[in-house]
Amino acid sequence: MKAKIIIGGIVVVIGIVLAAMNFLESNVEYADFSTAEKSHKKVQVKGEWVKEKSSSFDAASVKFSFYMKDDARRVVKVVLDGAKPNNFELATSVVAKGKFVNDEFHATEILTKCPSKYEGTSEAVKKTL
Amino acid sequence: MILLGTIAENLIRMGLLAALCAAFFYYRVHRRSTSRMLRMARNSYHLATLLLMSAAAVLLYLILNHQFMYKYVWEYSSTALTLPLLMSTFYAGQEGSFTLWALYTSIIGIFLMRYASRREYEAEAMSVYSLIFAFLLLMLVVKNPFELIWNAFPADLMKTGPIPAGVTNIAVLDTLKGLWAQFPAEGKGLNPLLQNYWMVIHPQILFTGFSSMAVPYTLAVAAMLKRDYSSWIRVATPWAVSGSMILGTGIIMGGYWAYETLGWGGFWGWDPVENSSLIPWLLCTASIHTALNQRKSGAFVKTNFVFSLLTFMTVLYSTFLTRSGVLGDTSVHSFVDPGMWVYWLLLGCIVLFGGIGFGVFFLRVREMPRVRSQHAVFSREFALFLGAFALSFVALFVAVGTSSPLITSLVNGKASAIEVAYYVKTNLPLGIVICLLSGIGQLLWWKHSNTGSLLRSLAAPVLLSLGVTTMVYVLLGPEHILILLFTFCAAFSLFANIKVGYGVFMGNPKFVGGSIAHIGIAVMCLGFVTSSRYDTKATLSLERGKPVDALGYRMTYVGYKQIDNERYAFNVEVEHGGVKKVVAPFMRFNTQENSTIRNPDIINFLNRDFYVAPVSVEEGGQGTQKSIKLMRGQSETVSNLKVQFEGFEFTEAQRAAMMEGKEFAIDAKLIVSDGNAKKHLDLKMKTGPKGAGYVPSGFVASDGKNYEFVISQMMPSQDDPSKSSVDIMINLPADGTTPQRDETLIIEASIKPMINLVWAGTITLVIGFLLTIVRRVEEAKREGDKWSSEG
Repeated sequence: MKAKIIIGGIVVVIGIVLAAMNFLESNVEYADFSTAEKSHKKVQVKGEWVKEKSSSFDAASVKFSFYMKDDARRVVKVVLDGAKPNNFELATSVVAKGKFVNDEFHATEILTKCPSKYEGTSEAVKKTL
Repeated sequence: MILLGTIAENLIRMGLLAALCAAFFYYRVHRRSTSRMLRMARNSYHLATLLLMSAAAVLLYLILNHQFMYKYVWEYSSTALTLPLLMSTFYAGQEGSFTLWALYTSIIGIFLMRYASRREYEAEAMSVYSLIFAFLLLMLVVKNPFELIWNAFPADLMKTGPIPAGVTNIAVLDTLKGLWAQFPAEGKGLNPLLQNYWMVIHPQILFTGFSSMAVPYTLAVAAMLKRDYSSWIRVATPWAVSGSMILGTGIIMGGYWAYETLGWGGFWGWDPVENSSLIPWLLCTASIHTALNQRKSGAFVKTNFVFSLLTFMTVLYSTFLTRSGVLGDTSVHSFVDPGMWVYWLLLGCIVLFGGIGFGVFFLRVREMPRVRSQHAVFSREFALFLGAFALSFVALFVAVGTSSPLITSLVNGKASAIEVAYYVKTNLPLGIVICLLSGIGQLLWWKHSNTGSLLRSLAAPVLLSLGVTTMVYVLLGPEHILILLFTFCAAFSLFANIKVGYGVFMGNPKFVGGSIAHIGIAVMCLGFVTSSRYDTKATLSLERGKPVDALGYRMTYVGYKQIDNERYAFNVEVEHGGVKKVVAPFMRFNTQENSTIRNPDIINFLNRDFYVAPVSVEEGGQGTQKSIKLMRGQSETVSNLKVQFEGFEFTEAQRAAMMEGKEFAIDAKLIVSDGNAKKHLDLKMKTGPKGAGYVPSGFVASDGKNYEFVISQMMPSQDDPSKSSVDIMINLPADGTTPQRDETLIIEASIKPMINLVWAGTITLVIGFLLTIVRRVEEAKREGDKWSSEG
């Protein structure tokens, strides 16, 4: 009985340690572009799409590029592996996951926050009057 | 003026009061039972249910009649929706989904009341349950679904003075003060991503499951209040099993929805919203397993209480995570920030119900019977115990991963999310253990075996699953060793359970539910491996009419068809082994909001899915685009052109215009030449009161072809003008080097081998659950008869 508990305890402790290591390893921190540029690590950057600047989709390489302004107000070209995300035009803010390569931010994933799923704004009320 | 919504709002408040009364009266019955008090308690509960039902009916009525003067109705519905979708907007937002949750909770409570009264559990169980119900109603008082739109936007909608002619949709609020409000004639409508039939059924099932997770908690607390530490487990099991079945069905359905229409590419994304229903399900399922042990040997009393309490606590915790706004920006689901009230209310409710549940537990824990479990390593009880613990560790790791934004913001001060890989890596070893145990545990139960007979019974399943693993390895290819081990264990569980199931069925068909449920899980696990580890993907450009070969299929884009105002179906012929089929993924272009929604299409073969997700469609006739970055004085050759960047020009006149706040322009000066013709091009950025814009400029080459230049970004350097640079986009003409293209559809095609195993496994699992429920309900009935004959 004792041996069973000891072995079980060891297994549980090893499991928790492995899981904790895994947790730290797969944690993707939030950063702004400047920190991302320095660290070269995979990070998430929150910001907004600069709609005035050109965005384009390259069909040959299947990459969507656009300009994004982070919370520190720095504007950087973001290149996403894939097409323009669903609801991208509606997004009030976007979160890009990826890392800096040369002068561009290469994103593997983009999350969009949509106002339509949010509380309505007075702008939206006026539109439907 | 009295509005219907205002009445409903008060019905909910009265309902809250009635539910609180029910909780109080039932508690009095628990202290000292009188038939009058019991009658009052029951009436209070029924009254609360009736009041909530009426309020819900009002909400539905308001939605069906497009009463956009209510913010919730305006926010989520519109006149353009079909009837089923219009009805589904009832739970499209937070207020409505809480209403649905409360509604199902109240209805389940009526069944629970009848069930519990036959087992002398009514007073305690309903006292706790009414309190839960009251909490949900309190939530609705705070998050009022009947808020009037002019109260939400008073600055825009409330006005005083005479009403101008021609203004419609008026509500006069106060005739004395001349106060009136205008309300919208049209709603904002339902999120296009949610507009399909899954929205009609999936949330209903999920919320029924979510609501039923409160019952094991309720019965556990009730049992501890009654000091009934043994027979309660028979009372509670049918509820745990059916709750687990309903919630499980809801979870998988959500996965199928994501796979089939949302175009996530897979059925599970480890998203907080998905995880938040998975965690309680895992714990509830774990509790079913340890409950079996307690019935057999009387041990695991405390474990069962803790699991049952945790099932509901994780429901509350998940709700807190997904509804309070704490997860913020870290998921594809967007989370509304509902305000501090909801945040504190949800947190308070975790504290309250955690306090009640674990408070009673610590009061009673000393007097709970202590049964030494003397189980050998090779016993069914030990396998059940390990299996349940493995399940609860999966729940723990998923909960930790889902809470990662919370954990990191507490530790680092900055929230960050976890990669999906974390979930796979941490849970894979546990999955292996669970599959292995679900096979061995069942064999042990059936054979009641000693080590020798166990080893003999293992032979056939082990050999067969070695065969399956080899087959997967040979046919589908090599994989990570742990994945192969998982495949082996899942196959082992499958064959072991088939073997046991057959034996049991020959003996007593009623007892076969467990084996069938485990067969379902094993088949699902095999499907997970084949469909998400062995899938192949390709992104393809399909020019209209030109076949493209990829992934062993020949695909030809044959053109699009307009479905309605916004939706276009893109037909792609797919040929494989002489069989031709057409897939028609569609995209929805909303010109008003300038958004695109993509819906995949699937060809379902017996042994695989061919999955086509549209990416974009490029109009024909255009040349290609090229973007370049130039430093000042630098030149680059694009196509046949030499492009040189001379620098920025900001003339005094323009500077003066800027000072006066008028529209002004900055030029990027280029020199473009193709060997013969040479031209100065000034690309303008105009900035005015309406914002900034880039003006394109054309260049005609000596062969008559048109090139178009436009700035995409200016980077002037104040300190050192020679370091100024500019990004330019050039539209190249269609010519020999960039051939004229027809309309081109870009798709992401993937093959998911044996994905049907996932769905087949799900159905098998549900059948297994149903058989188990029938058996446990009969058993609980006998328990009830025993009580009533004694009483």
